[in-house]
Amino acid sequence: MTTLNSILDAVKGPFYAAAATAAFSVLFGLLSTDIILAAGGAAVGQAVLQLIPPLKSPAFASFFAALAAGFYSELAAWFRKRPATVYMIASIIPLVPGGGMYYSMLTSLQGDPATSVQIVLSTLMTAFALAAGLAIANTLGRLAFERSRFPRPPVKPQAKI
Amino acid sequence: MDPEDLLLFAADTARLMLENGGETYRAEEAAMVVISSQGGVEAECFALSTGLMLSFMAEDGRVHSVVRRIKRRGMNLERVSQIDSMLQDLKADRIDIVEAGKRMDAAERIGERPILVKVLASAAGAGFFTLLFGGKLLDAVTAAFIGSAVSLLIQALSHLKLPDFVATLAGGALAAGATFCLRATGVAINVDIATIGVIMLMVPGVAITHAIRDIIAGDLVAGIARGADAFLTAAAISAGAGGAIALLKLLHLAGA
Repeated sequence: MTTLNSILDAVKGPFYAAAATAAFSVLFGLLSTDIILAAGGAAVGQAVLQLIPPLKSPAFASFFAALAAGFYSELAAWFRKRPATVYMIASIIPLVPGGGMYYSMLTSLQGDPATSVQIVLSTLMTAFALAAGLAIANTLGRLAFERSRFPRPPVKPQAKI
Repeated sequence: MDPEDLLLFAADTARLMLENGGETYRAEEAAMVVISSQGGVEAECFALSTGLMLSFMAEDGRVHSVVRRIKRRGMNLERVSQIDSMLQDLKADRIDIVEAGKRMDAAERIGERPILVKVLASAAGAGFFTLLFGGKLLDAVTAAFIGSAVSLLIQALSHLKLPDFVATLAGGALAAGATFCLRATGVAINVDIATIGVIMLMVPGVAITHAIRDIIAGDLVAGIARGADAFLTAAAISAGAGGAIALLKLLHLAGA
């Protein structure tokens, strides 16, 4: 029973992340299969985030989570012949430091600039880690998939201008 | 094709990319792909999230250029995806420019989701985010209801053509005010978690990540512009939420 409970506990986070991302994908204009694929990316990201033991900086875990979600997005994009951004934007939604931006502004408004600066810095670090993870995944994905994704067809003569 | 028409078509492609959440470099590349596919040379595009400049040299050696402002900044990834696939086909000579124009019109016509769908999706998003942040079921249900109200409010305000800042301010105030009021009437919810779950609908998390990705990619000015946008949105949400909480506290004190 305890193992079942612990498994449930472990799966809960990725599941919620996937469900929230599916809802956001609808808002972002994605359609059927893409919604499911984006939700999968969020689950991958959240799972990696949970697997990495908590360190002093939340940015470290975010980096690897974004890297995993980024690779997943590249794979999904290659599979569906679409730009990886489509899946990246949706699947990093649960990872983005939106709460940090809000709390930093709120603490500042409530007259606590010291806490505000602290949260701003940590938020920026997390955002930077996410962006770096995505950028690396994107670069490697391009190297790996570019050639197979767009095989050059025989060039046919065409009137120019 | 007439160089002027080509220029306008390329600028529109880039504009659509930017308006629907494409990255800056993707928009710049889009314009240049269109131009070079028709034999234009020395195509240069400088794009920001607020506008773009584009110029190229036609075959007769004359330089053509255009400036486009971008007023609307939304998110429609299906459009980005359709335009991208059109560009890949154009690049690989699978389609000609007429067909490309048709496909871009089709992409532009991809409609927004109906209001009801958006409201339901916002409710689900707010609810699941509340659960993800460790909220109980009651918190999630509350967040879902308030989230749908916030979504309706923001859509109504955008419909009235009010600036995004005002809409976000009102949304933040509603999110924090409603959870606070519910808690005051005795519903046992975790105010912090429910509020942040609702607020995730508006926070500029994607914008700030996009901004840093732009900066990493070398589009420094574009990245800073996006960062300013994100900062302003965060300020609006917090001003709304903070203002609502402060006001309610004042009223409560006055009433007690």
